[in-house]
Amino acid sequence: MSNAIDQTRRMLSLVTYLRERPGAHVSDVARAFGVTEAELIGDLNVLPMCGTSFRGGDLLDIDTDGERIWWHNVDDVAQPLRLAADEATALLVAARAVATLPGLRDSDRQALLRACAKLEAAAGEAAGASARLSVTFESEGSVFADVDRAIAERRRLWIRYYSPARDELTEREVDPIRLFAVGHTYFEAWCRSSEDRRMFRLDRVAEIKLLDAPADPPRIEPRDLSAGLVQPAGDDPEVVVEVGPGGRWVAEYYPHDSAEELPDGGLRITLRTPDPGSLRRLALRLGRDGRIVSPQALADSARAAAEQALAAYGEE
Amino acid sequence: MAIAKAERLMNLALCLMNTRRPLSKRELRSSVEAYREITSEDAFNRMFERDKDDLRELGLVIETVDALDGETGYVARRDRNRLPEIALDAEEAAALSLAAKVWQQARLAGAASGALQKLRAAGVPFEESGYESAEGHSVIEPRIPAHEPAFEPLMLAARDRRPVSFDYRKSNAVRPEPRHVEPWALECWRGHWYLAGWDRERAARRVFRLSRITGRIRSRGGEFTAEVPDHVDVRQTVASWAGEGATATARIRLRRGAGYPLRAKAVETMPAPGDRAAEWDELEIPYGHGLDDWLVEFGPDVVVLAPGELRDDVVDRLRAVARG
Repeated sequence: MSNAIDQTRRMLSLVTYLRERPGAHVSDVARAFGVTEAELIGDLNVLPMCGTSFRGGDLLDIDTDGERIWWHNVDDVAQPLRLAADEATALLVAARAVATLPGLRDSDRQALLRACAKLEAAAGEAAGASARLSVTFESEGSVFADVDRAIAERRRLWIRYYSPARDELTEREVDPIRLFAVGHTYFEAWCRSSEDRRMFRLDRVAEIKLLDAPADPPRIEPRDLSAGLVQPAGDDPEVVVEVGPGGRWVAEYYPHDSAEELPDGGLRITLRTPDPGSLRRLALRLGRDGRIVSPQALADSARAAAEQALAAYGEE
Repeated sequence: MAIAKAERLMNLALCLMNTRRPLSKRELRSSVEAYREITSEDAFNRMFERDKDDLRELGLVIETVDALDGETGYVARRDRNRLPEIALDAEEAAALSLAAKVWQQARLAGAASGALQKLRAAGVPFEESGYESAEGHSVIEPRIPAHEPAFEPLMLAARDRRPVSFDYRKSNAVRPEPRHVEPWALECWRGHWYLAGWDRERAARRVFRLSRITGRIRSRGGEFTAEVPDHVDVRQTVASWAGEGATATARIRLRRGAGYPLRAKAVETMPAPGDRAAEWDELEIPYGHGLDDWLVEFGPDVVVLAPGELRDDVVDRLRAVARG
């Protein structure tokens, strides 16, 4: 359900929009305003209760039969309204951020920059606050351009990809599905070697080639990006890590089931991963700032790796 | 049943926009049904103030005028509230509708779609079909996360130039400490939000990571005391925390086939001298903040050769892990 502020904002634009479009279709207007038909009908139920003066009897005579919308006493009650500071900020900050993405097609970048300039001019002083927010997306420009092209042309890719969990490069053929940026830039693809969907971070692609073969990914439900990129499964093995104050960053970087405060300012973090061995790197990195509580095999393998590394420095 | 807030706000907005002269609070109260239903004068006054603030948040310029009879009058003049002419071609409109989808934060997502609605009502030609599927465009879907609870209050405080205070836990601190800050700007880098501002106690510019703020953001009265710089570069500070922009270098021995990201950053790579050449390389890599943390991750596949302090740091860390 939309809140009262968003609904008011929408209804103010709606009266300007409907004025020009007698008999508009509910489905078209709902799509244009980015709401469901039910939400739009909700707005259309409120508008007849609104007017310039309740006593004057000049309420908006807007009604709908569920398919089309009619306004019987069309009036110039609202004009296209100036942008609010938050509205200008939301669009400008996002457009500037996207425009800086390395690898973006030049025509898209130019269109974004032109739109920003026009929007700044139209927003006037409301545009000022947008200078207080900024967003940088990171991307590997040349890899981006190849993935972008492969998706547009529906072609298969060959990549050499670095997996930090195993510290190794593997070669694979993948059918790319979507390209997205959340801080870093990633692409999702159907990996033909593992026969599963996989997420690839662009800065971990060591080499990429566009193949002539057409991409043929199975139809899969797109992931909801707002739920986070890593979505561990409930039956993945559990790992428990205890960190001191210096290791609290683990809770910021690793999705976890729980993080209990410890009396020394540290945390006891429980997380799930399909491959606990991949956390050996974390155990080594934590050093004196934390330790693996369980599984024991993971704690042992970190200890063994540290001993082996120390041997190279002449320590046993 | 109480009249819904959206209906009340809509009526107030229409009254203020369609009057030729400023209306007094009394006149507005008698014109808006929801206000007439309220019996308490105090309750009405509070509601009226909140409603005006809400409409101003939506961009409405409401002027207050001292009328002759001593009462304050309110009006939203048409010329001051009209969106100026804006001519966007189809490409530019498509670019903006892509930009409007990036926010994963409720307030800004609402504001972005509100902006598109206003532009659409003003006649900007937005395509209904997916921009992503259109030929000739990049297929990128950018998303800006802002899950940190401190984000929205800090964004508003920076916008309105209001000092704030909050509890902040530095990366290795046992306990959070209270900070008094004049917030200048927020920046998102690698998916995390940072605040740059003036730290009043330290009398210096500071950068804070939003995820390390604990508890609420509290507004402080009064104005900013330090001058706000024209350009605030959060990213440079944060990048240096992340060890970028390093000028020094380190020498390491790396097992062949391992440590691809170290190789990608290396300024020089050659086979290790002598017998080790078959299995090991020697690399010269940039040496910035946090390199020791990172090298330890590679365990027995990396040996630090120089400088001595980095070697000692890494050995120290390995000992801690070996002790368990």
